[in-house]
Amino acid sequence: MIEQIREKAKELLASGEVKVVIGYENGGLPETTRPVFITSPDEVDRLVWNKYCYANLATFLWRKEVSSLGKPAIVAKGCDVKAIVVLIQESQIKREDVVILGVTCTGVGDPPLSKCPICDVNTPREYDCLFGEEIPPKTDINKFADVDEFEKKSPEERWEFWEEQLSKCVKCYACRQVCPMCYCEICIADKNQPQWIETSSHTRGNYHWNLVRAWHLAGRCVDCLECERVCPVDIPLSLVNRRLAKSVKARFGYEPGYDTEAPPPFTDFKPQDPEEFIK
Amino acid sequence: MSRIGVFVCHCGENIARMVDVTRVAEETAKLPGVAVSVDYRYMCSDPGQNMIKEAIREHKLDGVVVAACSPQMHEPTFRAAVVEGGLNPYLCEMANIREHCSWVHTDKELATQKAIDLVRIMVEKVGKNQELFPIKVPVTKRALVIGGGIAGIQAALDIASGGHEVVLVEREPSIGGNMARLSETFPTLDCSQCILTPRMVEVDRDPRITLYTYAEVEEVGGFVGNFKVKIRQKAKSVIADLCNGCGDCWNKCPQKKIPSEFDAGLGYRTAIYVPFPQAVPNTPVIDRERCTKFLKDKCGICEKVCTLNAIDYTMEDEIIEVEVGAIVVATGYDLFSVGKDQPNEQWTGYGEYNYDAYPDVIDGIQFERLLSASGPTQGEIRRPSDGKEPKSVVFIACVGSRDPEKGLEYCSKICCMYIAKHAMLYKHKVHDGQPYVFYMDIRAGGKNYEEFVRRAIEEDGVLYIRGRVSKIYKDGEQLVVVGADTLSDSQVQVRADLVVLATAIVPHRDAYELAQKIGFGCGSQGFFSEAHPKLRPVETNTAGIYLAGACQAPKDIPDAVAQAGAAASKVQLLFSSDELEREPIIASVNEATCVHCRNCIRVCPYSAITDKEIKDKKGNLIKMVAEVNEGLCLGCGACVAACPSKSIQLAGFNDEQVFAEITALGSG
Repeated sequence: MIEQIREKAKELLASGEVKVVIGYENGGLPETTRPVFITSPDEVDRLVWNKYCYANLATFLWRKEVSSLGKPAIVAKGCDVKAIVVLIQESQIKREDVVILGVTCTGVGDPPLSKCPICDVNTPREYDCLFGEEIPPKTDINKFADVDEFEKKSPEERWEFWEEQLSKCVKCYACRQVCPMCYCEICIADKNQPQWIETSSHTRGNYHWNLVRAWHLAGRCVDCLECERVCPVDIPLSLVNRRLAKSVKARFGYEPGYDTEAPPPFTDFKPQDPEEFIK
Repeated sequence: MSRIGVFVCHCGENIARMVDVTRVAEETAKLPGVAVSVDYRYMCSDPGQNMIKEAIREHKLDGVVVAACSPQMHEPTFRAAVVEGGLNPYLCEMANIREHCSWVHTDKELATQKAIDLVRIMVEKVGKNQELFPIKVPVTKRALVIGGGIAGIQAALDIASGGHEVVLVEREPSIGGNMARLSETFPTLDCSQCILTPRMVEVDRDPRITLYTYAEVEEVGGFVGNFKVKIRQKAKSVIADLCNGCGDCWNKCPQKKIPSEFDAGLGYRTAIYVPFPQAVPNTPVIDRERCTKFLKDKCGICEKVCTLNAIDYTMEDEIIEVEVGAIVVATGYDLFSVGKDQPNEQWTGYGEYNYDAYPDVIDGIQFERLLSASGPTQGEIRRPSDGKEPKSVVFIACVGSRDPEKGLEYCSKICCMYIAKHAMLYKHKVHDGQPYVFYMDIRAGGKNYEEFVRRAIEEDGVLYIRGRVSKIYKDGEQLVVVGADTLSDSQVQVRADLVVLATAIVPHRDAYELAQKIGFGCGSQGFFSEAHPKLRPVETNTAGIYLAGACQAPKDIPDAVAQAGAAASKVQLLFSSDELEREPIIASVNEATCVHCRNCIRVCPYSAITDKEIKDKKGNLIKMVAEVNEGLCLGCGACVAACPSKSIQLAGFNDEQVFAEITALGSG
């Protein structure tokens, strides 16, 4: 499969259709990979594809350093493609301005990450070229089993759990830096006139930051799990993100990342929308 | 350090009863930045306003907080006072210690503390306020009137008489509305068409009025003074400029059995038709859903008989775009459905009255058509089933009205009067007939109205029975009306040849959709909402949009005409200056931090935000951002809430101000 990807990358770069191919290369240590930005057809052999290709490369699509290189092609797993779909919906990139090299994927990591058994996009939903055998989407999966389980706890237990988890946060903002949806040039957390979010990493400030981040991702998070993977203190961030995703799905019948034409639920309204909450 | 003045109002007893206003003044005087704090019995009075003006000069104030009522009421008063004192009006804020405090609390100590908090919050906010200046926008001195019934006609004529252009849009092929269908009018019994048609002709003749019939408003954009309207001119299939209204086409049309909408189904019309002889304009339209030419591509007789070649089967709908400065909405009413099928699931109809089943159970507008000289019976009272003259007629009031269980809770206002009129006119035409009226109360509040009803009862011998009708059933050729007479506490049965149901007045079936399209409010019953029930009865909450006639509430003709005149005068007031001043409370985008996620563009209910390209000197695109159109923005703040990077600010409510308010609340 990697040979075909390299061949395609070479062809795209040589023809000038794209200026950069965003993909994975071997990392410095065994069983690791890192993002690579190939700009010359001679370098395509650096590209690799294996089960350690964790990173969601969609986050590089809107970064100035990358976008200034010219039109990109991107190696993307099904979950990464969901992020690309949201970026298209939110007008961060145009569909025609990116070549998606979709790869079918049976899961990354050894053992696979928690997102992989509940994945329904082993074959990406959107791509320009597909590499690997098509895998039919799983149907009988409950994406929110762990959320359902967590919700059985009492409010006091949940509060205690999150207080403990969030007390660990050191405000390194790695979760934000890796997130493909955090494309604001100046994050609200970095604005200080006025200072809406407390910068110090005591529990109250940590609540503040993590809640704001969760709300900003409601209806947008595609559950690529990158925030949780990069968190140096292992806060189970996807639990709160997916709690909101569950509500969005229940209330609006909407899951982000599947349809570039779908209006995002929190910025869409019809005059006939029910207003039962306004009395 | 700011120099802020705090002015605490007693509002007579309204605030002082529950809030220790003196203590509020004393406590807030200690706040940092407050230069003076006083209380007074009526801050909105002349002496009260003078206190503010003098304090501004004496203490060199740079901000004013008036702790009083809702800004809805007196903010303009105090802003004006502040201007007279020499400050920018937007340096004045109100703390609402009446609606938000004294009126809703019962513990004086707690209410007083809350009042102090509310003032402190506003002191913190006003310290961050900036001078703002009104935005000036030009006014297009042309009005759109939607609906060509009597209200729309009156509004159009009055605005045109004021010297302004008017675009009048009517959905039906002719103007005239419901009034054109009426026989005679209460309480004077003058012929409805005789008083209406001269007005219709005037509309047609007035060069300042552009009339679009068989047309609908498709889209309204823009804002007060600058609306952009798209009108769909439905294809008439007849070229109006060529047609002279000779009538050859409709006389020769072989489709003669189409129930006439104008005659409420009692008469027939052809497929190419004018709704009634005095129609304005007198140009027929082809009903494409009934015409053989369009259904089967046969016939074509009208084209053959038209000597002026005015028939055009290929005509298509046309979209006409007009710019107007003001809109008068006069879409009128429909009648409550009495059949089994109801448009609203809350309504259960009146199946026991058998409107659907018995042809001799009719509604009020159908009886009008029977009475009318231009109606299907040329004004003779003939019942629909067998054409016989009814010798006994029962009129039933409040069918659908005042009945929250089965229909609507409100009073339809005109039925008591038109029932008296119907019964009277019936008696005038059928001297040996007997009219009966079943009623709940007789509501005859209007000039000469009570006298009119007394005349029906006393001179014309109409029998009024106070009570409801429980059922109507057929017995031979007659109908038996079973009801209660609550004055004699007995059950009554009346044998009738004809039953007339005074069905409730409901808003036009598309009223809600139109309100959404234009952007103003509807009440719970679907009638359009006025801006204030007493003081602004013809305005809507959207600037530049006015209401006339029964679209706002059930109304008789004099009320509809009066409101139309009032709406027209509001329009002329708006057109009396070349520029409008708009509140500067609008949103603006920080282009440096905007990332063009387009959330604001999607949530803006006024379509006031658009994409903007930022380019370098060579014309290369640097980035895309959002941009607010100052003219369109109404300052609702939806975009501010939707912006993830806080790149949109609302003037007068910017982040610094709101943050100061929140911080003040937290530090209390």
